Amino acid sequence: MSALSLPSAEPLLEIRNLTIRYRENDRQVTAARNISFALRRGGSLAIVGESGSGKSSVAGAILDFLGPTAEVTGSMLFEGQDIAGLPPAQRRQMLGRRIGAVFQDPFTALNPALRVGRQIAEPMVQHLGVSLPEALARAELALREMGIERAAEAANAFPHQLSGGMKQRALIAAALACGPSLLILDEPTTALDVTIEAQILRLLSRLRREKGVSLLFISHNLGVVRRLCDDVAVMYASQLVELGEVNRVLERPGHPYSKGLLAARPPLAAASRDSRLAAIAGQMPTIAEPDTGCVFAPRCPFHEPRCSAGPQPLTISPDGHRVRCWKADELGPWPRQQVAAVMQPAFRRGDALVNATQLSKTFGTRGGLTSWRLWVAGGRPRLHWPPTQVPAVNDVSFSISPGEVLGLVGESGCGKSTLGRLLLQLLRQSGGSVEFDGADLSRLPTQALSPFRKQAQIVFQNVGSSLNPRLSVGEALERPLALFSLAQPGYRTRRVEALLDMVRLPAAYRTRFPHQLSGGERQRVAIARALATEPRFIVCDEPVSALDVSVQATIVNLLADLRDALGLSYLFISHDLAVVAQLSDRVAVMYRGRICEIGSAAEVLAPPHHPYTRILLASAADDEPIPEPPASATATAAHSGCVFATRCPHKLGPVCDETPPPLRVLSASHAIACHLDPVPNAAVLPGLERLQRAAERFA
Amino acid sequence: MAVRLAELTAAQFIRRRRRLPASLVVGGTIVAALIVTAALAQWIAPYPYDQMHVRDRFQPPNLHYLAGTDEYGRDVFSRLLIGSQLSLVLGATATLISMAVGVPLGLIAGYRRGVTDEAIMRVLDVMLAFPPIMLVLLILAVTPPSLLKTAIAIGVLAVAPIARVTRSVTLDLMSGEFIEAARARGERLHYMLLRELLPNVWPVLMVEASLRVVFAVLLGAVLSFLGFGVQPPAADWGLMISNGRAFVDTAPWISLAPGIAMSITVIAISLVGDGLREVLDPKVGGR
Repeated sequence: MSALSLPSAEPLLEIRNLTIRYRENDRQVTAARNISFALRRGGSLAIVGESGSGKSSVAGAILDFLGPTAEVTGSMLFEGQDIAGLPPAQRRQMLGRRIGAVFQDPFTALNPALRVGRQIAEPMVQHLGVSLPEALARAELALREMGIERAAEAANAFPHQLSGGMKQRALIAAALACGPSLLILDEPTTALDVTIEAQILRLLSRLRREKGVSLLFISHNLGVVRRLCDDVAVMYASQLVELGEVNRVLERPGHPYSKGLLAARPPLAAASRDSRLAAIAGQMPTIAEPDTGCVFAPRCPFHEPRCSAGPQPLTISPDGHRVRCWKADELGPWPRQQVAAVMQPAFRRGDALVNATQLSKTFGTRGGLTSWRLWVAGGRPRLHWPPTQVPAVNDVSFSISPGEVLGLVGESGCGKSTLGRLLLQLLRQSGGSVEFDGADLSRLPTQALSPFRKQAQIVFQNVGSSLNPRLSVGEALERPLALFSLAQPGYRTRRVEALLDMVRLPAAYRTRFPHQLSGGERQRVAIARALATEPRFIVCDEPVSALDVSVQATIVNLLADLRDALGLSYLFISHDLAVVAQLSDRVAVMYRGRICEIGSAAEVLAPPHHPYTRILLASAADDEPIPEPPASATATAAHSGCVFATRCPHKLGPVCDETPPPLRVLSASHAIACHLDPVPNAAVLPGLERLQRAAERFA
Repeated sequence: MAVRLAELTAAQFIRRRRRLPASLVVGGTIVAALIVTAALAQWIAPYPYDQMHVRDRFQPPNLHYLAGTDEYGRDVFSRLLIGSQLSLVLGATATLISMAVGVPLGLIAGYRRGVTDEAIMRVLDVMLAFPPIMLVLLILAVTPPSLLKTAIAIGVLAVAPIARVTRSVTLDLMSGEFIEAARARGERLHYMLLRELLPNVWPVLMVEASLRVVFAVLLGAVLSFLGFGVQPPAADWGLMISNGRAFVDTAPWISLAPGIAMSITVIAISLVGDGLREVLDPKVGGR
């Protein structure tokens, strides 16, 4: 039941004409413009938008986090009282008791020097006047309520001893400590792995049911919102462009921007070579002027002159749905990008470009001289040098054909980035070998790798640090040309412009510096830099993970175009199975340094699955409860059995712990490393089916 | 980055001037004025620095002697001007020496890590463990004093802190993916250090260098005060303060004037350091 269809119910939180402006020196930036929405008691509302849309500023304004440079006007009625007008001390009291907040990064949100239980107890002592021992006891109970089994242990632990998911649970417990009626969640699952994300969402939805707490959920991900919220507000360029009931918005979006966001999300299904994601061209304006017309008009495929004639009002349809578009009712589906049909190339295993054989990498955590430890044992002092070895990649074999894309999926810390760096010989293997074009790289000394370096390049995840901030785009792109003597000095400028054109950036970007570019543009420059050496193989290490959905789609499309135009091979690394499936011919699923399933994209997405693949798919599709991973995500060398045994819902018994799983070959390209017969989990996941059907609707 | 600033056309400079921080404008103006007066000291000083006016001993500041006279009737103002040459040359030389040695050491330690890092940093730790004055005195006391030797002694002292700062910034940069991209191209050591790392360490180093100039000026004065630096009758601020000590109650200007001059110098250089950091940050200044 939506809050919008029940206008009589008194809302818990009502935001009226909220406008937020930041003043920086002589500049003024509007982060939110006339935002109005209501959240009923026990309800849940999601604010969705891309980075810079102003969604977090709205949360910040309610929580009074914005600082002195922000100018907030409008009213915020919470339980019938305007909190914007309260004196600071009273407002702090109110926020502490009645409104809880959880933020994106659980890794920095807890004080590393205080025990977790103490940090949950603190607000109770502050705001409820409970004695510390009493509060600590309540904190332990709260942790148990969050689904942490050994709550006493967790309460006594320091933050670094808990996993990311556990920390986020502890933070939710702290936010709920004083029994608030509203919980504000600002991207609470963005920093977590998909399996953990699914658990946290499940927990939040249970808490909402059991405690009747209302949720204001801020996210960039429309897919996540369905599992938790009744209503969705979509923000674009500081404006609310659509507000309505969640299924209505997700299934029949009114505003073109909502349509674009939904269409840009890759479906969780194998894609053919000529399929491309629907992308939203251009980028969000930083200083939008709504008085001159629709803010989305420059990027809108349905745009016509009338859109820019005057400001767009938020129109309310009879069912309470609000859309800021005058012709929302007549719009068709978001248009798809068309590419000429591409022949699906046939890859022969024999002529592999990259060939990894029993590749292993073990990191020694042993540091330098300073890692010596002195301790006293049996009355005598001893010197100790910890000899810990952590296997990051363990006995991995695969090959990549010329022109083929191998996707590599796995959660953070599973060794997928290490594997990418091993293939490029940025790290040297501890065992096994890497062959490139028939040459065994593992035997070559570092100095002899130069011809290989020209042919194999890398694109990174972190758009903030992948370009040297002191080099202009032109300088960064000229360097590989000079290093490998690919263009005479006089022709370099022309070649740089050609490279920029390949990644669809104007030639004028040559003189720009990284800080003058948006995230997507920086990633294009990084791709151009990798292309500058005219490589045959590129390792793409999470190239779209840090980007917004619409930008992500354009980069994925660009990589697909380059693959087809230049015949490139990729190792495409990502934690997102949907993105990997979109671009890859084959997909390898990695868990704790081992590949547990490998096959064509269609084979991996269809049953039978490896139990871990199944969990990944279930998390993405929100299907079944997922077992909690052990606190330490790194494997130990002593482990001899299946690495997934501790989390596996289909565990057979001691055999899983003791014997390495056999590789079961199901077809010429499909193999699963598991003791289990591939039959028991052969059913298609119902949630996955639903997702794929939904994806087809937008196709 | 000084080169980059010089490359700007006049029009660009005027456009950017609006964004220059006040600390840089004020500090830079004072430092520039100090350098100009020091360079022209011989010509603008009203009297030779060692000329004694026997009848005008202990004159308080007046129109003839702008900062008064000392116990020999020498003009304090003229001595200040000449003394500023020594202070500035000493500060600059010492800092150049320590940068020339410390920056490469820090870059290599941070880039190579492992055994190289341990070897360099442990040796520097030993240097840090000496009390600074002791180290300088050790060098100066056993041989006849000279300006260059004082500069080297002070410069050697600052090698360890400069190398440490360089190393820590380098370590931070090493996690940047552009470093890994350069390694994926197979770049050689000198390119990595000079083109990828140094330009990014530079802003921090400029701030550190300005701090080091300040320390060098102060330490030089301390050494002169103790009698190990510049020898009388040369005009040096530390030496002047030392000489005026005996007359602080009757003729305070003899010590006070060089003290004030030193304070102004030190504050101005610190301001420049602060301002430079803001300007050199690529996100603020647009380079």
